[in-house]
Amino acid sequence: MSAKLSRRKFLRVAAVGAAALLAASCQPKVVEVEKVVTKEVEKVVKETVIIAAEPAPKEPVTIQWMNWWGAAREPLMLEIIARFEEEFPHITVENQVQPWDNREQLAATAIASQAPPSLIMVSRVEAQMFAHEGLIVPIDDYIQAKGIDVYDVFYEGDINNCRWADHFWSYPLPSGGVDSSFWLYNKNLLRKSGLDPEAPPKTWQEVEEAIDATTVIKDGVLEVMGLEGVTGRFHSWLYCNDGKYYSDDSKQLLFNQPEGVETLEWMLKLISEKMGGIETYNAFGEGVTTMDADYAFYTDKLCFGPYNVSIFGHFKNIAPERFEDTDAWGTMLVPYNGNNSKAKPAGLSGFAFSWNQVIPKGLSKEVQDAAYEWLEYFGMRRAGGCWFLFEQARPSPVKACNENPEYYDANPYWEVVLQALAIDISVPVTPVQGQIADLVSEALEEVWFEVKTPKDALDWAYDQTQPILDKFWAEG
Amino acid sequence: MEARRAGYASDSRAGVSARLSSWRHRHRHWLGWLFISPWLIGFFWFDVLGLLLNLYLGFTGFTVGAKMPPWIGLANYREVFAGDHLIGKSFVNTIYYMGFSVPLMMITAFSLALILNAEIGGRGIFRTIYYLPSLVPVVASSIIWLLMLRTQGGMINQVLALVGIKAIPWLGRPEWAKPALILMSLWGFGGQMVIYLAGLQGIPRELYEAAEIDGASGWHKLARVTLPLMTPILFFNLIMGIIGSFQVFTSAFIMTDGGPLKATLFYMLHLYNNAFKYFKMGYASAMAVLLFLAILALTLAVNRSSGRWVYYAGA
Repeated sequence: MSAKLSRRKFLRVAAVGAAALLAASCQPKVVEVEKVVTKEVEKVVKETVIIAAEPAPKEPVTIQWMNWWGAAREPLMLEIIARFEEEFPHITVENQVQPWDNREQLAATAIASQAPPSLIMVSRVEAQMFAHEGLIVPIDDYIQAKGIDVYDVFYEGDINNCRWADHFWSYPLPSGGVDSSFWLYNKNLLRKSGLDPEAPPKTWQEVEEAIDATTVIKDGVLEVMGLEGVTGRFHSWLYCNDGKYYSDDSKQLLFNQPEGVETLEWMLKLISEKMGGIETYNAFGEGVTTMDADYAFYTDKLCFGPYNVSIFGHFKNIAPERFEDTDAWGTMLVPYNGNNSKAKPAGLSGFAFSWNQVIPKGLSKEVQDAAYEWLEYFGMRRAGGCWFLFEQARPSPVKACNENPEYYDANPYWEVVLQALAIDISVPVTPVQGQIADLVSEALEEVWFEVKTPKDALDWAYDQTQPILDKFWAEG
Repeated sequence: MEARRAGYASDSRAGVSARLSSWRHRHRHWLGWLFISPWLIGFFWFDVLGLLLNLYLGFTGFTVGAKMPPWIGLANYREVFAGDHLIGKSFVNTIYYMGFSVPLMMITAFSLALILNAEIGGRGIFRTIYYLPSLVPVVASSIIWLLMLRTQGGMINQVLALVGIKAIPWLGRPEWAKPALILMSLWGFGGQMVIYLAGLQGIPRELYEAAEIDGASGWHKLARVTLPLMTPILFFNLIMGIIGSFQVFTSAFIMTDGGPLKATLFYMLHLYNNAFKYFKMGYASAMAVLLFLAILALTLAVNRSSGRWVYYAGA
């Protein structure tokens, strides 16, 4: 290095240096610049490194965020977007709230179009189908690059709702809790019936006694209902009887096993013997939802209600005084079949329906990266999804977010909710779950109307659905 | 020389004129085509191309996405006719719905049009009131009807209770669910009513005067003058009603989801489920082709019968 620098060599080095500087100003990746010049002159390299080390301004990127978080949630979303854009000034998020009608159609056509939005909110089974068809990108590389231990961050049930074919396609938000492992119960009705309001039933057998004590049927009309949500929840009840809907590898349907038949027989007994039959049962509270002030649970007309995680927000908004009155209602873990020694409380964090936000294929690298940044912010960050859910009185799928002390102040039964989230499981459904679920529902309806016995109905459903599943796996 | 030059010029002018005239003659329809081209382009792009693509997709295992779907021949059609246990039920449900809703709608709309065509005070207000429901989106009216049809506390059962009729589980029993949706379909009679009103106002008054001179009663005037002259409009509404009722979807989608016991699983709802819930797009395309053929066949049959009962003046 002691040799003199000739004029020609100096000019050559200067030219290379200038080119390197120019390249460095355009390219944020310094490593490639080093490769060009390292062998030429050490000094130039050092200068280049210094210049390139300054953060190069990123190209502005706009992402479209197609979602169904309308109504009262839209201002919350806009607030999070503002926070995100402050932290990532080069990314602009267009909040594209869609109408709920024909949601499936909108999602499918958007993802299949030549110009899809950058991130789409879809149901779990839709995400699986889009992944199966190669229409969305997995986020494993991002997870790996950022060193995120998803099972440490999220509840196992929740993150598994975003997993399909050994890849992760989204972060969960909100927490699945489709049929979470908690129920709300009415202390007033238990007290009135001579039962202990502070000792809610733990087993199916105790629930039966409570239903007998609280249900009121007059002139064929159900005036006070013991338990709501029986007909649409066979899959949840099944897991409380140590049954399974799918095998762990998702290749075998197991709902018609003895546990399933026993579960369905018990459910039928509740409807036909305890609550006046399917017509009487269906007529109760028809057209009224948890978002209506005259909803039965808010007016002492309903004793037990299995709900999903959105109930607390609805309850708090619609009947705030009632919500504050912890003498009037309580939260309990879902009861299990006390006659089955293996059974224990079990809820579902996700069946066919829990939300995924997926990134379509075919986007530019910049847009895809920006979409991921938004997904991570919205899905994991305290100022993002955690805040969004807290404002709605919903739990978060991020474990740490639920440790927020304000949750304990806002919800008197927060401990029970956390216990429920920890034991909620994700059923390993497949992209053909839509067909399977409809056929099982068809069979169940025939049980409620006493057209078929529980065993015959479940066997018929199995005969119809297992070939669909076999065909799916056979076709790959 | 001058004369020859003038002759050339004259010949040249005549030639140009003749060529222009010939061009105009040959291309005399082009202007018309030009004017209808926006519609034509839309028709070919959105309808004809869509129809052809749908026809093609019916022979494929198309699910969702842009991948080239695999050709599976007649498998989808075989499944429609032999494999799908709900297709027959959905078709029968649709025919049942059509069989009741189309005539009921026509009778209701025509009767009200007759009343509102009479010389009564506040006629304009009544016409507006009766027409308004048809402007309400089906989604909104479905939600309203969902509340009105409740077994306990629903408005319809409350009215029935006044005359001593026990509460009917409108949407809770399979035998009542279809009648409930048919009843609801009458809500949108305003559109048909306006067409009937326009038709009624087009009937010359002299015909009624002549009938009155001949001693015709109100019934005779209706049966011998009004109805025959209204047959082209009845025919139009019949065709539109058949097409519309074959495509009944929204009310069942929102109010019953095809239940109870699949009593309201209409063909379009079944098709939609296959397409967007099960992602069996190829199968849904085959179903759509069959629906198209069914509607076409029925429309042609009604059209063929029209020679016997539709009166076209001067025809």
